[in-house]
Amino acid sequence: MSFLNPLADESLDERLARQGVSRREFMEYCSALCVVLGVGKKFAPTMAKALQTPQRPPVIWLQLQECTGCVESVLRTAEPTVGDLVLDVISLDYSHALMAGAGHAVEKALHDSMTANAGKYVLLVTGSVPLAENGVYTVIGGRTAKDILEEAGKGAAAVIAVGACAHFGSVQAARPNPTGAVGVADIIKDKPVVNIAGCPPIGDVVTATVVHFLTFGRLPDVDPVGRPLFAYGARIHDQCPRRANFDAGQFVEKFDDEAARKGWCLYHVGCKGPATFSPCPIFQWNTRTSWPIGAGHPCIGCTEPHFWDTMTPFYGRLPDVGGFGIEERVDVLGAALAIGATAGVVAHAAATGVHQMREKNRQLPVVDGPSQGGTPNK
Amino acid sequence: MTKATPQAGRPAAGQQGFHLGADIAAPSGNYRWVKLWGWPIRLMHWLAVGTMVALVVTGLYIGKPYFMAGGDTRDHFLMGWMRFIHFAAAAIFATTAIWRIYWLFAGNRFERLPALFPIRPRDWVNMVKQVKFYAMIEPEKAPHYLGHNPLQQLSYTGVYFLAMVMIVSGFALYGQSDPSGFFYKAFNWVGIVMGGMPVVRFVHHVLTWAFLIFIPMHIYLAVRADVLERGGVISSIFTGGRFVPAKHHFVDGEDLNE
Repeated sequence: MSFLNPLADESLDERLARQGVSRREFMEYCSALCVVLGVGKKFAPTMAKALQTPQRPPVIWLQLQECTGCVESVLRTAEPTVGDLVLDVISLDYSHALMAGAGHAVEKALHDSMTANAGKYVLLVTGSVPLAENGVYTVIGGRTAKDILEEAGKGAAAVIAVGACAHFGSVQAARPNPTGAVGVADIIKDKPVVNIAGCPPIGDVVTATVVHFLTFGRLPDVDPVGRPLFAYGARIHDQCPRRANFDAGQFVEKFDDEAARKGWCLYHVGCKGPATFSPCPIFQWNTRTSWPIGAGHPCIGCTEPHFWDTMTPFYGRLPDVGGFGIEERVDVLGAALAIGATAGVVAHAAATGVHQMREKNRQLPVVDGPSQGGTPNK
Repeated sequence: MTKATPQAGRPAAGQQGFHLGADIAAPSGNYRWVKLWGWPIRLMHWLAVGTMVALVVTGLYIGKPYFMAGGDTRDHFLMGWMRFIHFAAAAIFATTAIWRIYWLFAGNRFERLPALFPIRPRDWVNMVKQVKFYAMIEPEKAPHYLGHNPLQQLSYTGVYFLAMVMIVSGFALYGQSDPSGFFYKAFNWVGIVMGGMPVVRFVHHVLTWAFLIFIPMHIYLAVRADVLERGGVISSIFTGGRFVPAKHHFVDGEDLNE
């Protein structure tokens, strides 16, 4: 059963042919995806076979406490790519934003799919899970997000958390986190969860991760915070087209200055590229049209855990300290203390001199004749 | 000069009232030269001085690029050189730290690990006296030390601690450029412990100022001690020893006069 694709019964070959994609283009896509995944082109035939196999695992896409931006990012492209077509034919059995049905019928469809494919389906999750007040902040069909996720997680063959919300809770988990929002990995603990980090993440990374699972039967290798290494293995800073300006010492100081027009480095205006692991400079968005730094905006570090708290202020180099607003003033404060220490040192030296003179003056009258023998200059 | 007549030949003025410093240095017969610092400590000190200056200058630039290169990008490598110097100096600085750690166990009793922690009750009493000395309240009651007095030592131990935090946070930041490399794997825990790499960056940035606050005080107090005591204490970081009045009792000099 698939609400998304009335044409899901047609094979991938038929679908590609109908869309005017040749076999050669499909194989090129597989090769490219193998390179993206870092597994080498020799796996392209394996991948092509896996994608063409009729028994593709169904995908269930849960949308919990979120803004639908991740779904938009995955699906919104100016023109359909081969990757989109591949994703299209995945048997997407449940997705709030995409399915045509509604109400009890789709909830039944979800349960039917989970029962029929227990232990086989891929679970994609966007959105965080609010735990405060017993989870009342997200209730779908009378059930809390936690309930829904726990049930869906039980039978999942693989769990892919898409977006910053599913990763760590994103903006709703920022201090003070009123809804007690947590990520998917905080709820599903008995199986590995891959985090496709980003707010939103790049659609190609989601596609590549799903295809990796279809091809190899397992999720890709991840870094310490659960992000696939093939995509999140390098910093934006180290892949950035403006890196030459950084190394040369050429920085934008204001968004309307000459340097901004020349496209110099955004480090000075708070770019978090040096602390952010993401493939943005390479993959980009909207069919590789652009990306934040390419459009002249500093990276806000949205693929890093808790970036709303740790990466703010977005237009400053250093993190905020407890709402004290010290981040930009820390150098002023530090310099003031250092100058103060120097001034204190000078004052102390002066006081020492005064003390010396006073001691000397006080004892001059009591210096008698014989004791002057040693100091003829007096 | 014999020990029997330690006062002979001293200028009488030295016996009158109290001077923070002697008017005239007493004859050397009443002074003895004590060896305090081995050559490794002295070398480490001066390597730290040189690398710290380089680290602070380049580090402040990296934290906030205070001047820029105009013109064609390919003609410049300003930030590149700043970072290179910073990393190279950091490598030397970290090496001296490793060396210092070894010397905590191999050094003499002034250099060894226990000397870094003057926390016995007697030390606390003397620390109060030392504070009074610097405040010029009853300065004559300040205890004499051959090596560092407790207040001084705690500040140096604090600087060692600061240096360790700087080294660890610095390597954590450095490791970011290569997640498959040694430094990323060895220091990735730092970000987790501190609560994210931005916090590591912040700590690394702020502590720079702690060094900049320490340095003027350190230089001043060394100069002051040299001026007042006339024992060549500044010379001790070059020669390894200094002159001390033989008549003084030294808290840490039990085995000096046998």
